[in-house]
Amino acid sequence: MEMIKIFVKAKCPKCPAAKEIGMELKREGVPVFNYDLDTIDGLAEASFYSILSTPSFIIEDEKEREVASWRGVVPTLQEVKQHLFRSN
Amino acid sequence: MIEIKGFLETSFLDWPGKICSVLFLPGCNFRCPYCHNHPLVFHPGQFASISLKQILRHLHSFKGWVDGVCLTGGEPTLHADFPLLIRQIKERGFPVKLDTNGSNPEMLEKLIDKRQVDFIAMDVKAPLDSFSYRRSTGLSIDLALISKSIEILKRGKVEYQFRMTVVPQLHSEEEIQALGEQLRAGRRLILQNFNPENPLDPSLKETNPYDPKFLKEMEKRVQEMV
Amino acid sequence: MASVIEMKEERKDLKEELETTDMALFVRTSEESMNDWNRQRIVDALIRETYIDVDTAKEIAQEVEDLIVTSRIKMITAPLVRELVDTKLVERGLEQARKMHTRLGMPLYDVDQLILHPNKENANVPHGPEATNLTLAERIKKEYALLSVFSQETADAHMRGDIHLHDLGFVDRPYCSGQSLEYIKRFGLSLPNSIAMAKPAKHPEVLLAHMVKFAAGLQSNFAGAIGWDAVNLFFAPYLEGMSDRELEQLAQMMIFEFSQQAVARGGQAIFTDLNLYWEIPKHFENVPAIGPGGEKTGKNYSDYMKESQRFAWALFNVFMEGDGSGRPFFFPKPLVHITEKFFQTPGHMDFLHHICEVASEKGNTYFVFDRGETAKISECCRLSFKLDQTDLEDAKEPWKMRYCALQNVTLNLPRIAYLAKGDDTRLFSKLTEFIEVTVKAHLEKKSFIEKLLSIGERGPLALLAMNRDGSPYLRMHRASFLIGMVGLNELVQVHTGQEMHQSRQAFKFGLKVIAHMKLLVDKLSGRHGIHFVLEQTPAESTAYRFAKLDLRFHSPRSGDIVKGNISKGEVYYTNSTYLNNSAVLNPIERVRQEGLFHPLIEAGALTHIWLGEAKPSRESLANFVIKTFKQTQNDQIAFSPEFTTCNACNRTSRGLRSSCQYCGSTEVDGITRITGYFTKLSSWNKGKIGELHNRYRNQAYIEAQEGETVLKAG
Repeated sequence: MEMIKIFVKAKCPKCPAAKEIGMELKREGVPVFNYDLDTIDGLAEASFYSILSTPSFIIEDEKEREVASWRGVVPTLQEVKQHLFRSN
Repeated sequence: MIEIKGFLETSFLDWPGKICSVLFLPGCNFRCPYCHNHPLVFHPGQFASISLKQILRHLHSFKGWVDGVCLTGGEPTLHADFPLLIRQIKERGFPVKLDTNGSNPEMLEKLIDKRQVDFIAMDVKAPLDSFSYRRSTGLSIDLALISKSIEILKRGKVEYQFRMTVVPQLHSEEEIQALGEQLRAGRRLILQNFNPENPLDPSLKETNPYDPKFLKEMEKRVQEMV
Repeated sequence: MASVIEMKEERKDLKEELETTDMALFVRTSEESMNDWNRQRIVDALIRETYIDVDTAKEIAQEVEDLIVTSRIKMITAPLVRELVDTKLVERGLEQARKMHTRLGMPLYDVDQLILHPNKENANVPHGPEATNLTLAERIKKEYALLSVFSQETADAHMRGDIHLHDLGFVDRPYCSGQSLEYIKRFGLSLPNSIAMAKPAKHPEVLLAHMVKFAAGLQSNFAGAIGWDAVNLFFAPYLEGMSDRELEQLAQMMIFEFSQQAVARGGQAIFTDLNLYWEIPKHFENVPAIGPGGEKTGKNYSDYMKESQRFAWALFNVFMEGDGSGRPFFFPKPLVHITEKFFQTPGHMDFLHHICEVASEKGNTYFVFDRGETAKISECCRLSFKLDQTDLEDAKEPWKMRYCALQNVTLNLPRIAYLAKGDDTRLFSKLTEFIEVTVKAHLEKKSFIEKLLSIGERGPLALLAMNRDGSPYLRMHRASFLIGMVGLNELVQVHTGQEMHQSRQAFKFGLKVIAHMKLLVDKLSGRHGIHFVLEQTPAESTAYRFAKLDLRFHSPRSGDIVKGNISKGEVYYTNSTYLNNSAVLNPIERVRQEGLFHPLIEAGALTHIWLGEAKPSRESLANFVIKTFKQTQNDQIAFSPEFTTCNACNRTSRGLRSSCQYCGSTEVDGITRITGYFTKLSSWNKGKIGELHNRYRNQAYIEAQEGETVLKAG
């Protein structure tokens, strides 16, 4: 099963919308991991994916291979779902 | 299936202008005294084989970086199932370059016709006469095959290059020039300096290669022949 | 104070024993006989230099005199008297007074060694009388720094090897600087303490002469690198109408001037960075150009693209040739900025091939990547920053653009891991502690330098206090304070059991450590109102020093961790955030993975690609450079070939060899990059020699590579 990583910052205009998507997916049973770039773990994880702007989204498969990503933009819930449920 | 004995993930040398991966295949039908790959070529058992699956997985992770795969040896065309190996690499979307000594024109022609290779580099060992060729390759070579391969490449259906490794003891200035005149390949002929580090014939270890400046000049001269 | 005090009673015996040369000494100092022995001098010194009371001082003086008399010493030196006094202070538990009264200096044996043997701490220092002077002075200033500039806590942390305070021997100078040629173009060369004042240059050769002089002046006021921004562009207004031949001649003069400065301070070449641009950097486009005589030419810099490009091209022609025997130039270092605009500027591919050919042939080129549309400025130490409004104002008057890093302090990261004993919380709190000590060290250095600068143009840092445009040359409010690291790879190895290239978890843990450092350093910058930045320490000798100290203090654990060859003493930690030098990682993986750290490290990050003997095609290298720019966040790359230079026939060949390829002589020396610059192998310290043996040079892996799991990033 795919999982989604969401990268946000405290002061970032589009981040609330990103968090919204994360909560919705969580409700639907998708494993969602939130990372705040102002924290150590968040910044480290963001660096690993070369994420320099927020909000960003990374979808990975069970082998931690990148399936899709959005950097510095908020995709629609629909777009995200396309990639999440592709293999099912 | 051919065993792959060596894998260089990134090379800036083996394919002009490109970043490529290089696969080394065992076995050779020549015995060039200056060969520096000889342990791999003649004693392949000493080396562990690398599985193609593993290589392809690696290649996948360099998508967008590695522009192609260079197949070298030894002499890759000795292996009857060599085209099969090429196909598997091409299927993954990587262009293929082949290094050959030109002793298998039949296979070259087929590969070219089927558009299975994107670039061929052919090593020319000496001026095209049986004595010179024997001296440079250590064996009696059917020159007709070599000439045929040259002719096939010169048809220009595929990108190609002729390479000559120059050893002072084997190749005088006149001989280099003679080959240049026979090929008349212009900038498609390049000269490489011999590396005395670990030659097949140990006596060559004592040989000092030509001065790189002299070699550059010679190369310029043969490249003017078209 | 006289250096030799001779005691009268013994005079006769002494005379008989002395040779003629010593006699001269004897005569000269005989004025200071026992008659002149005056224990009041001890009292005076103690009162002047320490806080102790007169009675104690007198008591001590008396005791020392008694000791000298009863010991029947035949000759006594002033330093010995001082040490005897110090032992009395120690006996009384007057530790603070002893420190204040202590003397700095070196044992005879050490001086002897120094004069006879080369210094290996910095391969950029040759061996000779000037170099020895430098080392002797450095030794005393180092002691001075540790006793007097820094607090005991800071000094102890350095001595223990928790941190490394760089260039302690240059404690009375800032660390490194970056400047603009516009300063000397506009103001000429009018240095404090110099008798003659030169007006702004009218000719390119004169501008070059001013540049070289000024660089030498700066070298004696800074410990490290002297960088120059957009050199080809700022030269351009002087180059109109010059032929290719003349331009190449000028380029040759510039490179030889900077490469042969080994006659300067301490026989040490000026560590010169030339920043070069193919395009006209955005922030200089509409800036009025300054030309001959310091006058505005009436044109903007965007009108000088042709001259600027021709000069950059000519400089690389010279790098391509190498020196008189075909060796690569060690200095100056050419840093070419690759930007979005670079790719929109006509002729960029030809230029890229040109500089890549130099990279392949000689290795000189540094490719510096400035991504994004925002304008960036390169300070010294590759500290680049996005220009905000005040900076853009500065850029309109480019002579104002001068920057410096005041000091560089490096953390011993593996040490932190030994101390943490596998506990995450302890690891991060130790790391915080180490950084806090580092910050303290920076504040101490800052207040010391401010003290020196406050004396102004009559003080020791007159050049930096010089005020030509309304603010001192050194703009303290723009100074950065560097915080470096050594051995991230070994920290991760100690703490997680794996090196960074061995697993994704280990690699991520490395990122976490640097992320912690980055966030903390930003927070501390805010708290103290000064600019702390992370840097990849070049750590030429620090990587060796830390490894040696940890072998002593954290054995046996450290024995499995330090890299290199322990039995030969050739040990080191992996530099900064680099992956293991010997790991089988091809250049793609190296630039990708090491590059992931670069956005966290604002000052000076670089990935080395060791080429060894291979001489790649320029087109392939250009291809790689473009991909690195477009597909990674890597900050800077350099390709490092290796050479063998023959001292017998003076020819240079490719690869590291034990004998000359041309004449067979074994009188050869290897040349390759040490940390950030080229130099001869014979001058390397043991740690770096250990690293060199281990460097993975992108050979094919032909033997079985079992157990080598190669990490895939992203």
